[in-house]
Amino acid sequence: MNRTEAVTRPLLEVEDLTVGFGGFAAVRGVSFHVQPGEILGIVGESGSGKSVTCRAAMGLLPGTARAGGRVRLEGRDLLTLGDADWRAIRGREIGMIFQNPASHLDPLRRIGSQIAAPIVRHLGVGRREAMRRAVRLLDDVGIRDPERSARAYPHEFSGGMKQRAMIATAIGCGPKLLIADEPTTALDVTVQARILRLLKDLNRERGLAIILISHDLGVVADICSRVVVMRNGEVVEQGPIDDVVSRPRHPYTRLLVDSQPSRRTYPDVKTEPLPAAPLLSVEGLSVSFAVRRGLVGRLAGKAGPFLALDGIDLQIAAGETVGVVGESGSGKSTLARAIIRQNRPSAGTIRLERQDVHALAGDALMAFRRRVQMVFQNPYDSLNPRMTIADAVAEPIWRHRLADRRTAERRAGELLELVELPRALRDRKPRQLSGGQCQRVGLARALALEPQLLIADEITSALDVTTQAQILDLLLRLQRERALTLLYISHDLSVVSSICQRVYVFKAGRIVENGPARQVLSVPRNPYTQELVSSLAQLGPKKSASISVAALNNATR
Amino acid sequence: MAQLRLIARRLIQLAGVMLGISIVTFLLLHMAPGDPARLLAGERASAETIAAIRMQYGLDLPLWQQFITYVANLLAGDIGQSLRFQRPVSELIQQFMWPTLFLTVYVVCLAVPPAVALSILSARNPGGTADQIVRLVGIAGLTIPVFWLGIMMSRFFGVSLGWFPVSGYGVGLAGHLHHLFLPALSTAVWLVPVLTQSLRAALIEKAMADFVTAARAQGASEREIFWRTILPNSVLPTLNLLGVMVAFLIGGAVIVETVYAVPGLGTLMIGALLGRDYYVVQGLTLVFAMSTVLVTLAVDLLAAFIDPRVRA
Repeated sequence: MNRTEAVTRPLLEVEDLTVGFGGFAAVRGVSFHVQPGEILGIVGESGSGKSVTCRAAMGLLPGTARAGGRVRLEGRDLLTLGDADWRAIRGREIGMIFQNPASHLDPLRRIGSQIAAPIVRHLGVGRREAMRRAVRLLDDVGIRDPERSARAYPHEFSGGMKQRAMIATAIGCGPKLLIADEPTTALDVTVQARILRLLKDLNRERGLAIILISHDLGVVADICSRVVVMRNGEVVEQGPIDDVVSRPRHPYTRLLVDSQPSRRTYPDVKTEPLPAAPLLSVEGLSVSFAVRRGLVGRLAGKAGPFLALDGIDLQIAAGETVGVVGESGSGKSTLARAIIRQNRPSAGTIRLERQDVHALAGDALMAFRRRVQMVFQNPYDSLNPRMTIADAVAEPIWRHRLADRRTAERRAGELLELVELPRALRDRKPRQLSGGQCQRVGLARALALEPQLLIADEITSALDVTTQAQILDLLLRLQRERALTLLYISHDLSVVSSICQRVYVFKAGRIVENGPARQVLSVPRNPYTQELVSSLAQLGPKKSASISVAALNNATR
Repeated sequence: MAQLRLIARRLIQLAGVMLGISIVTFLLLHMAPGDPARLLAGERASAETIAAIRMQYGLDLPLWQQFITYVANLLAGDIGQSLRFQRPVSELIQQFMWPTLFLTVYVVCLAVPPAVALSILSARNPGGTADQIVRLVGIAGLTIPVFWLGIMMSRFFGVSLGWFPVSGYGVGLAGHLHHLFLPALSTAVWLVPVLTQSLRAALIEKAMADFVTAARAQGASEREIFWRTILPNSVLPTLNLLGVMVAFLIGGAVIVETVYAVPGLGTLMIGALLGRDYYVVQGLTLVFAMSTVLVTLAVDLLAAFIDPRVRA
């Protein structure tokens, strides 16, 4: 923090803020301040009260919430304001952007008119002038062909473009403060890097103060000068970002820093030469999906089916941990689904020890199901909500006739112990568990059939970072103890690089690079892998160089 | 441009649907019990007379030839001759169509404004007193059978109070409005709660949508948010429901038209069915099917006008 800034009056002061919903206090005694032109980060896990705090500062709390304490904007107390005064501040003095830009834009209105609306409302200019400014704003936030984009509807924009448009609506009236609530969480890592860069530029060029709320300490460390760490509705620590990251005082902050994938040390993965016959081998695999088109489209004979996977070659040896990384839509999950026979290949073969997986039937198919199991991204959706978790784990055992029901239940108990789930939770339904506990159940269920190959598809991406670290530790322990072969699919490069021996980088249904994980992700050869690696917002010694200008120019893709 | 493409696409689909409808109505008549030739010739006709009539009407030809003749006639606007009235079916339908269409439009005009007002009232405070009352009254409206309500209202307003005529169609616009008020009202009584339920649910859902929070964060007033954001985003499901209901009203006006003796398509249908007037039944089936298709098309185009995502 700059010395001169410290003496100027803070832009926003939050003092002893308390927010309660009924009898439950979501935020307790939170105090922090934001200096003009500063980027302040607020980190914490889900339920830590970081979003509630900022919504209180915007007057956007639901009617059932009670806020106490003081929130002052340039000395003016906000919490006592009436509705009309609030409206004069929202969008004018303080702008806000949100986690999921797709759902925060009105689907029925053109982008330009949505950006122009606050300008007409607050600055009293005419519609025509407001539209002109909207086009200029679109240009400012790095959207190509702003004139045409202003006439587009939100569904015609990509995720990154939607967030840029959202930023344009928030800064249109020249607010002094921008509250960004998890602005990049729903975006791919390369898009995330560009949006963070845009926020940094806006901060520098316009002197815009920003509060960046994130669960990701890496993102906050990337652009913030100071950070507030929240947990269970309280501030546990705050200070300059470098101090907090390198010398965390509070045990929770220490845990948070240590849980970052780039800061964790996993037992050194050994890279051995591949044995002659791999356990799983994928040759020339293509999967296509029919694109739904109307009669006219079919008559016109336009583009054929969509190729989700396009000639993939991949081998996994027994006992190996192989990573697959790529952004959304790159075909990683399609690969997993093709291996477990949920998607039919349009070309190529998948072999498990020389047997063509898609030619299996009857008993051989049942045997294959036992040998290959999968854990899914969303633990709640992948478990039957009406079954207790003990039943859910026992089910595959008796269904495959490996044991009678009573033995299956006993085995389920052992498996739940193996994944370190407290005994008291066994008779609960999935909804009554936390995300991390539920994912442990998913793991136990997958392991119930004692598979050789375990496919883990983004199994930690729905979890908080500290929980993610625990699940990864568990996964690696299980792999060691049970000699599992692991196919680990993730968008998170730092996790993949730390736990996988080999990695395949996917882009648009093709493999662009593969090789030993450490090597591919530390000295990437392919330009796309380089962009991926450089986009990583992470802590610590491996802090990467800033993003290339070329990457930024591609922003509107 | 996108709208034009959508219309073109829908018109091509329409041709296919029309062909399907004509096949079904054609086969319906052939699968119906009884022999039209025997019916024309009368009970005591000789086998030769029946054969002659068969030949005259082309009923001895193979089915596919009969179908081609049927389609050719359809395209020329000829959907046959009523056996009972000895008049072209198309003429009959044209005569009986207007009261039904008028009644349908009347019902929509009577039902939509209160449905919108009541759903806004309900959605403003879900679970509140107003919401509970609207729901209870709505359930009552849904559960009262149309024929019973029709009879009761015509007795009370028509016979006892003498405010409204209890039958007929009247003359001139004012006459139509006056005569059809009770039939339209007794239909609207169950339509309003159906529409209200749908719109209320959509309003409540959209009021919690993320883009509403975003609009609030941009300083929009609650009034502006409601009219410019929540309402436009909520009307689509109700619009689709209204389309289905209107198509149903055109074809399903039988009960209310019978109770109030309105000379509409429902009355014509009942008469034709009881009198075994096959060609009229066939023609009416065709008209009902086509009106359903056209109403659906109109609703889809309206939806595309409101929602850009439908156009894509």
